[in-house]
Amino acid sequence: MTHQLDEYMEAEIQRLLTEHGAVAEQGITVQCRENLLVLGGEVESAERRDEICRQITANFPDVQVACDIGIVRAAAPTEVEEIS
Amino acid sequence: MIRIAAVGDVHVDKDVLGRYRPALEQLPDVADALLIAGDLTRHGTVEEAQCMAQEFGGLDVPVVVVLGNHDHQSDQQAEVTDVLREAGLTVLEGDGVVLELNGHLLGVAGAKGFGGGFAGACASKFGEREMKDFVGTTEAIADRLGDALRSLECDALVALTHYAPVPETLVGEPLEIYPFLGSYLLGQAIDSAPTALALHGHAHHGSERGRTPGGVPVRNVAHPVIKQAYNVYQLLSEDAGAGLVRV
Repeated sequence: MTHQLDEYMEAEIQRLLTEHGAVAEQGITVQCRENLLVLGGEVESAERRDEICRQITANFPDVQVACDIGIVRAAAPTEVEEIS
Repeated sequence: MIRIAAVGDVHVDKDVLGRYRPALEQLPDVADALLIAGDLTRHGTVEEAQCMAQEFGGLDVPVVVVLGNHDHQSDQQAEVTDVLREAGLTVLEGDGVVLELNGHLLGVAGAKGFGGGFAGACASKFGEREMKDFVGTTEAIADRLGDALRSLECDALVALTHYAPVPETLVGEPLEIYPFLGSYLLGQAIDSAPTALALHGHAHHGSERGRTPGGVPVRNVAHPVIKQAYNVYQLLSEDAGAGLVRV
């Protein structure tokens, strides 16, 4: 089956990324360009980012995917905010 | 003066082990306690809770957490809680704890919270049983959070939730999903007590700062929002000037 880049596919992908046990991400954005699916957001590890791309490629083999998902930095802070 | 470190949505599993630890080892130098605003794990399994305990346990400061929706995914929240408590973490759900820090008493009341939305566009307890249950769940959680906040005797009071108590810290998220990200009922509970600071997570694309209708500062400390291992907030400052100061 050929997949069309439309709202139904966008919803299907959003649910796949949340409900698939190997992914479980709710913070991934999905944007449909003319012939391209752009994934955004941030995850906790490179493995998780790669798994997201693998799942989408496996489930939607005819869709061209651009992965802009980043890994959240985990450095110590250098500033304190005073609450008043 | 009390300094508290805070983060949420750390989603720990095997692949995250060691990522936070270098920054956590510095905690005793910069903060008196660490508060974690839920979504400690990916799927809420015992194995992931053990990873969480390994990454965030054994620190030289007290660690207080609430669970998030991810920590309920496998229906093992009781077992997850047990693992975290065995590792020395304090897990709150509709209750509170008072910590003695730097000669001051810090009160923390915590609850996961739930959805329902905010004034002008909130869900009501009407119609189908499922809808009544949804709103009723949030009401019950907010009631327990309010009771816990009002019961604590301390010098500084902090509310810790996973879901958001105000819409301001959701800005950046699609408006359509606000009812799944928080509820005004949590804000109302926070405003029912002399709360100094409210911390939450859950909204990865949200904004960092807001205030409740009653004027309580709210901070969204979801990891993708703060983009560092934790933020540090200073309460009970002798010097009243607000703003950022160096660690």
